[in-house]
Amino acid sequence: MSEVKASSRARLVYDPAELDYNFGPEHPMQPGRINALIDLLETCGLWRSTGADSRLPLRAATVEELSLAHTSDYIAAVQTLSTPGSSKAESDERQLLAIKYGFADGDTPALPRMHDVCAHIAGGSLVALSAVMGLPAGGAFSSEDERPLHVFHPGGGLHHAWAERASGFCVYNDISVAIANVLRASEAKILYIDFDAHHGDGVQRAFYDDPHVMTVSLHETGRYLFPGTGDVLELGNGLGRGYSVNVPLEPFTEDDSYTEAIESLLSPLVISFAPDVIVTEHGCDTHAWDPLTHLSLTLRGIQAQITLAHQLAHTYCQGRWVALGGGGYDLYRVVPRAWSMVWAEMSDQALPEHLPDAWVERWRPVWSSVEDQEAAAQQVMGKAPAPTNFPTSFQDRPEDFPAQPRRWSISRANRHTVSLVRHLLVPSSVRQAFPAARSQSPLAGLFDLLHLRGSATPSRSKTLETPAGALLLRDFCPPSLVERLTVDEGLHAFARLPAREHQLLLSIARRPDCALTLAHTPAGHIAGEVTLAPGDEWWEGLENVYEVAIEVSSNWRGFGVGRNLLAFALELDALEDIILYAMGLSWHWDTEGLGLNSYRYRELIARLFASQGFVEYPTTEPNVKMEPANIFLARVGKRVDQRVVSQFFNHLLSTPNLARL
Amino acid sequence: MIVSEIMTTKLVTVTPDDTLSHAANLLRQYQFHHLPVVRATTTVETLDSDQKSRKTLPVLEGLLTSQDIDMAASLGTWSSSDLLHQPWQERRVLEMMHRATVRVSPTTSVAAAAQILVERGLNGLPVVEYERTGQASQEDEGGTRAVLVGLITRSDLLMALARSLGAFEPGMQLTIPLPMGDLTPLAQLLLLASELRIQVRSIIAAPLEAGIPLAATVRLGTIHPAPLLVRLQEANIQYTFADLPGEGDSHV
Repeated sequence: MSEVKASSRARLVYDPAELDYNFGPEHPMQPGRINALIDLLETCGLWRSTGADSRLPLRAATVEELSLAHTSDYIAAVQTLSTPGSSKAESDERQLLAIKYGFADGDTPALPRMHDVCAHIAGGSLVALSAVMGLPAGGAFSSEDERPLHVFHPGGGLHHAWAERASGFCVYNDISVAIANVLRASEAKILYIDFDAHHGDGVQRAFYDDPHVMTVSLHETGRYLFPGTGDVLELGNGLGRGYSVNVPLEPFTEDDSYTEAIESLLSPLVISFAPDVIVTEHGCDTHAWDPLTHLSLTLRGIQAQITLAHQLAHTYCQGRWVALGGGGYDLYRVVPRAWSMVWAEMSDQALPEHLPDAWVERWRPVWSSVEDQEAAAQQVMGKAPAPTNFPTSFQDRPEDFPAQPRRWSISRANRHTVSLVRHLLVPSSVRQAFPAARSQSPLAGLFDLLHLRGSATPSRSKTLETPAGALLLRDFCPPSLVERLTVDEGLHAFARLPAREHQLLLSIARRPDCALTLAHTPAGHIAGEVTLAPGDEWWEGLENVYEVAIEVSSNWRGFGVGRNLLAFALELDALEDIILYAMGLSWHWDTEGLGLNSYRYRELIARLFASQGFVEYPTTEPNVKMEPANIFLARVGKRVDQRVVSQFFNHLLSTPNLARL
Repeated sequence: MIVSEIMTTKLVTVTPDDTLSHAANLLRQYQFHHLPVVRATTTVETLDSDQKSRKTLPVLEGLLTSQDIDMAASLGTWSSSDLLHQPWQERRVLEMMHRATVRVSPTTSVAAAAQILVERGLNGLPVVEYERTGQASQEDEGGTRAVLVGLITRSDLLMALARSLGAFEPGMQLTIPLPMGDLTPLAQLLLLASELRIQVRSIIAAPLEAGIPLAATVRLGTIHPAPLLVRLQEANIQYTFADLPGEGDSHV
């Protein structure tokens, strides 16, 4: 099996030095899991430690590189604690250091040579990310085709370490170190997605006020579980507001609800952030057999997460993807299989159906020796006992995972969380292009609804003369028209890149329950858009409520395009029969481009919509409440049923059910 | 807990002669709602030998809140027809500030401060220390003056609450029922945690009914509670950890 068929642009970072990250035989995180993984990859012929074309060598991160993500006193303390102390006085001092920097408890005890080992792990992730980003720290490659596009570093993903403290089995935060070093040398935007069952608190803290890094963490809710943070409302601070995303999932979430959550959230987040690279942390402690957590996934859900990450990287980041390991404490039954999936997906290789017998023979006895401990842990954590057999296939057998008794209410709670996150963090026009799976609106055929008295032509057009040239206004744009048009460079408020904005407009045009009105030049450049879509999940249960979103290219501002386009889009027969609303969220505004502060911008929006009879209303809607500059505007049609109107106003001021989150 | 442990000490202040527009800018810039008004007073202290030390003390004159500025601004628009009327931006802090007669000292208990804030409907209180002055001057109250040392607002109280719930430290949460207010299970848990080297981030056993705590919520600094939970089960101590499906064996 000499021909390892790995895609030449995928590499795996592994160094035996990483196996020294070992907190002792009683500790739940054992380096044996990495051993078992590498053994499985080699036995299956998926990867060779000797194969130079699929391996990326690592080096230790320097103190200077570490200090971009850690305080120098912390690094010094780790170095001190890495060497055994001798005298009595010294050991007292070491005890103080250990308490101050988080090494005093059983989770993350101080280890001999700890600095060296952890610097190697941090260096691995640093090399991985730099190589993918084409920075010199990633090593030299003979040609651009040799440069890896995907890198997997199973030893990385130590996401709990803080800048000044060790926590939750993590000493140096290799993720923060890698990202911080790339940010120093480039203007890249980095998306970090944390699939570990625990909240990625260390990475979130490191970049909480940085708009260049979006951290997304999907984890079991922190109501009981470590580290306790990761609420939906932790959104980032200062300039970084809107760039920390947290999706706390219920215990016992299971595959279907999990897959639904990641699929309805990740694409819209990626498209609205427009990152240059995706870094994923594939902690597989989400699995049902994991002794530390309760998410109860199987490898089917984990596979879905890996496939989606790969797909997103290719669709939106020219394939640039760094995957890291992380948690995962069912060391021999879950970790090797889950992370083989990461590597197989990344290197475009197919996994065999069955685990090789030789591998099973080697690792089953290792697992048997800790089986009793695992069973006890399952029981005290309040979980159903896991089957007492060692897997023989890569996929899990569904019969080993009985359904959870409260499945329905758990998925419902998760949907609520996801819709809140979508609402808070995904701009409305992106959200309209990615409707939540369940809320396929029964109001398909918006055109018929809005043109009660049946107009002759399906869509109208009109010419608008501006000082910069004529614009054609067209409502109910069909996808066939949108395909032919191109997007003006100044149109990027929501999707950040014109090409993606075009995709977005196409998917809105394709939806039967959305209406897209465009302003374009005779040459086919789209200069502005107004979208009309049924109110999203937040307004569930209300009839005839539609959300309006508007954007005008920065090259066409100041000519009254916005006002004319909005007026044109709202020339509807049914205008008085419906409630229209618009939300202005300050973190989506192009305040820099206009040279306005957000309060002036707010005024601008209020005036624009006021020209169409929109009025500002106070609301408890969580997005709008988040910032004083945000604004909620609505226009209630004269013929709307009084009952619906009062429902609408009640909804505006209702108390959102945040207590559950 | 006393006020000095949770009060804000890095203060942005104004003097009585500053304009309201200056104050409004400060409030907007820092995004808060209270500006203590102080007058800097220099004192000369004679130390034991011939040495003299000079220090400048901020003496509290009052408190200016964002509400006061709103008030000034809205009054200003009412009478804007009056040409002789001074625009509110040019009025002085002295005209609109409160005397802030309700004050606390650094050693006031946090509970007392919270009660004052709620009962008086206030959002913030200046924290002062009274100093005896050598010579009596006109603004002294019986030879003492109020030196501003801090400010305590509702936000400080909320942060103190969150901190004492252990919210700023990574950790997991466990609830233990205390039948009949018996604290033995809690004591046993703490002994076990100490033995297993698990750090305790916070303990809450507040009485909910008839002065007896019926449950304790303990926040533990560990990602790996299983060894502790095994020991708790061996010792027959009930606990709640996560929402267990269906079975009610350890629900409170």
